[in-house]
Amino acid sequence: MEYLVVSLMFIVFLQTRFMELRRATLCLAVQSALIAAACLVIGLSHGGGLHGWMPGLLTIAVKVLFIPAAILRTVKGLRDEREIVSDINVNYSTAVAACSLALGYMVIDGLLPQAEGRDILATSMFMIMTGLTLIVMRSRAIMQMIGLITMENGIYLLGLIMTEGLPLIIELGIFLDVLIAVVILVILTSRLRLSFRTTDTNVLDKLKG
Amino acid sequence: MECFLLAAACFGVGIITLFFPHGLQRAAHWLANLAALAGSGMVAAKAWQVLAGNGVEPLYWGSYSLGVDGWSAIFLLLTGIAGVITSLYALGYAQSYEGSRLRLLGGMWNLFVLSMVLVLLAGDAFSFLLFWEIMAVASFMLVNHESEKRSTWTAAYQYLVMTSVGTAAIMIAFLLTGAASANFSFEAMAHNKLVGWWQHGVFAAAFIGFALKAGLVPLHVWLPNAHPAAPSHVSALMSGVMLKIALYGFGRFMFSFLPTWNYWWCVIVLLVGAVSAFLGVLYAQMENDIKRILAYSSVENMGVIFAAFGCGMLLKVLAGGNWFLLGFVAALVHAFNHSIMKVLMFMSAGSIMHGTGSKNLELFGGLAKKMPYTALFTLVGSLALAAIPLTNGFTGEWLLLQSFITLASVNAAQSTRLLVAVCFILLGFTGALALGCFVRFYGIAFLGRARSELTEHAHESDGFMLTAMGISSILVVACGLYPVPVVQTICNALAINQGFAAQGLALEWAGTGTLAVFNPVLLLILVAGIGLVIYLCTANICVEEDVTWNCGTYPTERQQYSATGFSKPVRRAFDYLLKPKRQVSYMRKDHAYFGRQLSYKLEIPDMVTEKLYAPFQKRFVGVSAFLRRMQQGSVRLYVSYVMAAMVLVLVWGALYK
Repeated sequence: MEYLVVSLMFIVFLQTRFMELRRATLCLAVQSALIAAACLVIGLSHGGGLHGWMPGLLTIAVKVLFIPAAILRTVKGLRDEREIVSDINVNYSTAVAACSLALGYMVIDGLLPQAEGRDILATSMFMIMTGLTLIVMRSRAIMQMIGLITMENGIYLLGLIMTEGLPLIIELGIFLDVLIAVVILVILTSRLRLSFRTTDTNVLDKLKG
Repeated sequence: MECFLLAAACFGVGIITLFFPHGLQRAAHWLANLAALAGSGMVAAKAWQVLAGNGVEPLYWGSYSLGVDGWSAIFLLLTGIAGVITSLYALGYAQSYEGSRLRLLGGMWNLFVLSMVLVLLAGDAFSFLLFWEIMAVASFMLVNHESEKRSTWTAAYQYLVMTSVGTAAIMIAFLLTGAASANFSFEAMAHNKLVGWWQHGVFAAAFIGFALKAGLVPLHVWLPNAHPAAPSHVSALMSGVMLKIALYGFGRFMFSFLPTWNYWWCVIVLLVGAVSAFLGVLYAQMENDIKRILAYSSVENMGVIFAAFGCGMLLKVLAGGNWFLLGFVAALVHAFNHSIMKVLMFMSAGSIMHGTGSKNLELFGGLAKKMPYTALFTLVGSLALAAIPLTNGFTGEWLLLQSFITLASVNAAQSTRLLVAVCFILLGFTGALALGCFVRFYGIAFLGRARSELTEHAHESDGFMLTAMGISSILVVACGLYPVPVVQTICNALAINQGFAAQGLALEWAGTGTLAVFNPVLLLILVAGIGLVIYLCTANICVEEDVTWNCGTYPTERQQYSATGFSKPVRRAFDYLLKPKRQVSYMRKDHAYFGRQLSYKLEIPDMVTEKLYAPFQKRFVGVSAFLRRMQQGSVRLYVSYVMAAMVLVLVWGALYK
């Protein structure tokens, strides 16, 4: 579990470094795979069974396979697939990610002293905050989707460790939620491309009343 | 209570006509107005029984209740009478709306009357606020009926905004009172434990909220815009009844929830009322739109009513004894009488608009020949609104002046006497200006010669409208000549026996032996006697009729007094208050004295709007523009707000656990 957590931290740091959409998506897939692994580890340590396997397998199906595939399909239709920003933005987002890691530890120590999975909790806080950072600092729709999934992964991990497995029906609900959100976002992204010939969300400023 | 429920069912039938198919709109119109007529009639009859001493069992439904007491029964009676008269009028008048949302008019009309009845019946804060809001929304829909016109919907939205502000204030008052009581029923709220500043808070919120609905200065700005925009029978009911419901609510707060009154509250109510009366009638004198004149006159009369109410409060605080009841009786008598006469006058205005198609006073003249019955009824209404003895408008004002005199005589403190003097001056101005205002209204519209061809084609209204106006005229004269039943009923409702004499009204000050009597019948005999004497003395004088001498030329209709010209002396006298904007420019000037063409524009802006609301609005928009910088339209910015909030909450939680 400790190895998983450390690699998760690294992969999320890496996520802030990618500017190219395809690589960022692959990185997201790896990140989701690590979450799935963590899910399976926890599930099996609580005795396996259908409830032990199901969430992990669903994570693999939805977050590792379906979502990255859908995003990659959208990316294929885009011509300018690079997030056009300077390196400074990348460095800033990594710096913010580092700060949020420290903040995550601070918050967990402050709110839940002597918690059992301190590192996992801190990592999930770190992921939530980094996901938000990605949404705020990237302007391309695809990158913002990746930020959203990162955040979602963080929330899922937090739920997993805090409750040691939600009821199955709720887990299914969460997966359906994410699935539908991504489907809608993919549709919106292609509409954005059709209407504005770009997926830069800055053009949406014009919608201001 | 069954009778009220039956009435509510009648109104319900009327509301259902809203959903009739388009082809049945005439049927919907008849059914809706007849249902409103029947429902109002039942309400009036039952309220009369309650006033005669037959109590009604309140109806409970969970923690909500509907009930009647003396204070609400008066207002129910007033609502019922005005509802019957205006529904009868609407049977004729609303026909002109055929093809333009006639079903909506009928359905909303029923909802409006029903909501007013239910506000009066409500026995707990929640139902009161619910029905109060339904009343506001229904009246908004009715004001906004002719929504094709820009002036209509701007007025309607102004009304909606203002009335929401008022409701917010009332809600604060109810919540503050309810929070200090066991629950939100009126019985429990009567035993509240409000102390110190909380009482001041409740008073301030309630007074602001109800004064806004009643149209007291400076919260009256919606009223002169909303009344001209609404169909005439709607303005009649809004002015005649809805404004009085504000008095009902305020009285409910004062009598039940805030039993111990502060001296300054009374002074505030008294002065706001007196100033509203004065400014209302001053602006009424200046207007040329007949319905705006009547709307400002409503401001005036609500001012008079609140002044009487404030005088009653002051009498209770300062004088003790039973004298305070005089003020409240004055307020209620005037409220009752004003509702009848204002309904009559708005119906007259509606008939004039119906007959001529205009509401600009400058275009009328000589209507008495074309519309003789309307002219007669309007004359009665004008006399009543000018508070001439022998009409019911005078009774309330007489009682009001008597209560002022009582106040000055029972409390000899210098400040009280000064206050009474100030009120006398303001109300004296009010009476004189009201007289001028309605001489102008009647004289310019009905007498003289036609000022435009609009009046050439004027026609008399149909039977329903004339019947409705006739009934209210008879009521005006009957209550004026024989005011005792009204006053006695109101005394009964307030559960008192003040000993008003059988024929006229007589008040005797305890211990002093001084007596004040007002006997309209004696007065009538006196007036008739003097009239007879004058007639007999002048009968033998030979009179020769000829054209008015006009320096050798025939007089034309343009040489008559115009409505603007008639009010010129008052405008000059109150220049410093009204601040009229005059603009004179020559369109053609060939010679210093001949061949000139002038264009003269006169505008009298409402000073309250100009000095109070406009700067406030400017500030408000300025602050909003500043806040708008937060709304840049960028999704990323909004997400960063969320993120900042989350981080702050987390850090705060971690540090101050």
